[in-house]
Amino acid sequence: MKLDGTYLFREKREQVWSTLMDPEAISGAIPGVEEFVPVEDEQHAWRAIAKVSMAAVSGRFTGQVRMSEIQAPVSYRLTVSGEGQGSIISGNVVMRLVERDDGGTVLHWDAEANISGKLARIGQRLIKAAANMMSKRFFGNLARQIREAA
Amino acid sequence: MAVVGKAVKRKEDPRLITGEARYLEDINIPGMTHIAILRSPHAHANIVSINTEAAAAVPGVVGVYTGQDFMDVNPLPCPWPAGGVENNLNTPRALEVEKVTHVGAGVAVVVAEDRATAQDAVELIDVEWEVLPAVTDAEEATFEGAPQLHENAPNNVCMEWDCGDQEGADAALASSDVVVKQRLRNQRLIPTPMETRGCIAQHEPVNGEYTIWMTSQAPHVHRLLFTAFIFGVPENKVRVISPQIGGGFGAKIFMYPEYVLTTALSKKVGRPVKWVETRSENYIATTHGRDHVTDVEVGANRDGTITALKVKTFANLGGILSTVAPGIPTTLYGRMLSGAYQFPNIYCHVTGVYTNTGMVDAYRGAGRPEATYVVERAVDLVASELSMDPVEVRRKNFVPSDAFPFEPNNNLLNGLSYDSGDYDKALDMALEMTGYEDFRAEQAAARAEGRYLGIGFSTYIEICGIAPSAWMFGEGWGAALWESANVRMHITGDVVVTTGSQSHGQGHETSVAQLVADELGVSMDQVHVQHSDTLGTPFGYGTYGSRSTAVGGVAVWRSLQRIKEKARAIAAHEFEADIEDVEYVVNEEGVGSVQVKGAPDKSKVVGEFMGIATSAAGGWSLPGDMEPFLDETSYYDPPDCTYPFGTHICIVEVDAETGNVDIKRYIAVDDVGKVINPMIVDGQVHGGIAQGVAQALWEGAQYDENGQLVSGSLMDYAIPRADLLPSFELGRTETPTPNNPLGVKGAGETGTIAATPAVVNAVVDALSHLDVRHIDMPLTPSRVWETIKSHSNGGNS
Repeated sequence: MKLDGTYLFREKREQVWSTLMDPEAISGAIPGVEEFVPVEDEQHAWRAIAKVSMAAVSGRFTGQVRMSEIQAPVSYRLTVSGEGQGSIISGNVVMRLVERDDGGTVLHWDAEANISGKLARIGQRLIKAAANMMSKRFFGNLARQIREAA
Repeated sequence: MAVVGKAVKRKEDPRLITGEARYLEDINIPGMTHIAILRSPHAHANIVSINTEAAAAVPGVVGVYTGQDFMDVNPLPCPWPAGGVENNLNTPRALEVEKVTHVGAGVAVVVAEDRATAQDAVELIDVEWEVLPAVTDAEEATFEGAPQLHENAPNNVCMEWDCGDQEGADAALASSDVVVKQRLRNQRLIPTPMETRGCIAQHEPVNGEYTIWMTSQAPHVHRLLFTAFIFGVPENKVRVISPQIGGGFGAKIFMYPEYVLTTALSKKVGRPVKWVETRSENYIATTHGRDHVTDVEVGANRDGTITALKVKTFANLGGILSTVAPGIPTTLYGRMLSGAYQFPNIYCHVTGVYTNTGMVDAYRGAGRPEATYVVERAVDLVASELSMDPVEVRRKNFVPSDAFPFEPNNNLLNGLSYDSGDYDKALDMALEMTGYEDFRAEQAAARAEGRYLGIGFSTYIEICGIAPSAWMFGEGWGAALWESANVRMHITGDVVVTTGSQSHGQGHETSVAQLVADELGVSMDQVHVQHSDTLGTPFGYGTYGSRSTAVGGVAVWRSLQRIKEKARAIAAHEFEADIEDVEYVVNEEGVGSVQVKGAPDKSKVVGEFMGIATSAAGGWSLPGDMEPFLDETSYYDPPDCTYPFGTHICIVEVDAETGNVDIKRYIAVDDVGKVINPMIVDGQVHGGIAQGVAQALWEGAQYDENGQLVSGSLMDYAIPRADLLPSFELGRTETPTPNNPLGVKGAGETGTIAATPAVVNAVVDALSHLDVRHIDMPLTPSRVWETIKSHSNGGNS
């Protein structure tokens, strides 16, 4: 399943980029995150536990988040894999920052997600809507942190 | 007063209506543990490793097991490979060990003190998977380069089976005036009984005996499979009890891994074990039905005479075989493709295919709905090609009423023949009820206003009372299919009937009691029908294929004849008369007695205390070496199946703007042979039509490209609702079968067999002025709307 969207930040690209590269900011932006710790001996990789609620499936998902293809200050890929509640989620999202004439920044994101198990059976119909809602919350949380940092 | 043929209220209903009936979930045993099963989230994957440590450490967990712990338990059997061909069989184990081939396959289990703990702990089991590419479409699975599911099944083919005459069909098609070709998809359905499956097993170490309560349509068959095939223990070590069952529709006939697992665990943990399936589990772990892709070629002459029918079908069997999976799309499908017609040339080829989907097996009608859909759509395609009335084409090709017994051509039925029928009579009655001529005028008028009305016919036949053991053996069935019954009269004159068949909604306790009441001359209240417990009932093959009355009922009837014979002999002895002078009579009030002809004072009532049953049970004065008690067991194996038939007519209005199909009227004339309880038959017909209509319009299992079941809950799988259906208009003709003394044929499946093509034919008829020839099921509004758009001038195509 492919998903995409854009998010508009008022802040400059460098500001957005430095927040995007800050593990604490990412951890703080993931909805329902309970744990976000670096994987030993590996750069740009974290072990995460998040509480996710989608359709009739709700509960903890455990997984990994990896950052790759980093091209500062423009783009990187985030690869996510998670498991829980009889379901498996895997996917990746490429985030790309474009400067705007008014000094703001547009973030374009392109994601590909695979869902197996219970979530696929009873949640698939709602996944697009849920993913959009969650991405909105994710970037909304990021934007708040950028404002707070500024 | 005779009760057979009357709409007697059901004896089982008071306990069902008041909530007194005990279903499997209601049964609890002291010390009982509960299990939760870890199921594969992947459609196709190798199991690399399973780590159960975290789950085992949860307080309240009794044990955690994987497939490795059950290697001493045999894989489940598949006792019905398709007849006469090589079958590449692959069946489930209690838990899968190396690889899974469908979402939902069990790979590990948690046993815990309570269900919630088991369900929570199962989440902590860590499985490392090697995910493999999946294929879900039966035809695509046979293509080169498709993912391979089983080493012993090249190109995923389980079996190639055929029947009829290929050369004859090809030659006839080549010389026919017209030939119509069409691809038909008979989509996958999920049976969805109200009650899901479940099992409770208790093992007694002292004597090695198991008691197994389970949701079973065939308790004796389950016991046989447990003992002889899976655990290798004698039959007397296993008692299977099927409590009140909330519907089965075929899906509860089969042996499933969870039953084996629960039973094996009861011994392993030394405590009773309970498993109750959730609805989400039911959708991925219980069998599905149908799922055929068929190419049909039908040839005809200008006058509407059909000259040949050639059918090529890919039957999707799922990732692994359920108990009788290969038998359904072969014997119960191909052999029925002559329908109600005397087609001169028929050929059918079936490829049974493994795909990364749930198991497929018998679902109400089992093979026969798929066949009827092909035949009834083919007849309509011919009518449309020749611009003939579909009624006329049907009449032209019907087996005439004087041709019975009728053996379909090309040895299609492999030696059996249609028993009796009057197909025109049922059609006439249905047309009369419909007001066919008026409808066509109404349809024309509506079209002028831009409203799309349509009428669809299904002049079906079916094969019921699935039996003759010798014939079924020839079809690859690895057992027999007779039925049994024991009838005994207690000292008080009450009658207890035990039957090897099983009731999960069919009303055996009522219809069998009606039979006994009339035959013996006792009241319905005096007759107690017991079933569903292997302890105390004689062996029987169970309830499916509309066979309980046509086979099991006849076994009851035969026991009754022996009881009556013995009652006469005892009376002759008591009255010192010749047995030839003693008759068994049931008077107008329904009271049965044995009496000496022409001597009214020498008479004894049967069904009362100190009556003839008391004489027999007392045993103080019996002729010669006669044994006491009126107690007779019969085993009945019929000479042939039975062949119910009828006409279903559906009238629809298709909304040209939205594509929504509204069923305006539904008329069904069924001939199920002699009817014991018309209310029960009507109920069966109603439920069957609802399911048949639902396939045509709404239901359909959907997998995504990775083999994930997308329609995995009742939110996404559209089972029919009462408000979507009209009030059915039912009629009946009654043509007894000569194949059994009761004249009964069977009524459990007519609705699902007949309804589906009637609805599709109606929708296609409604759109025929747009030159629509066919739409694949389910005929959802979007699919119908798209068809209308692509066929209308506005659609520009």
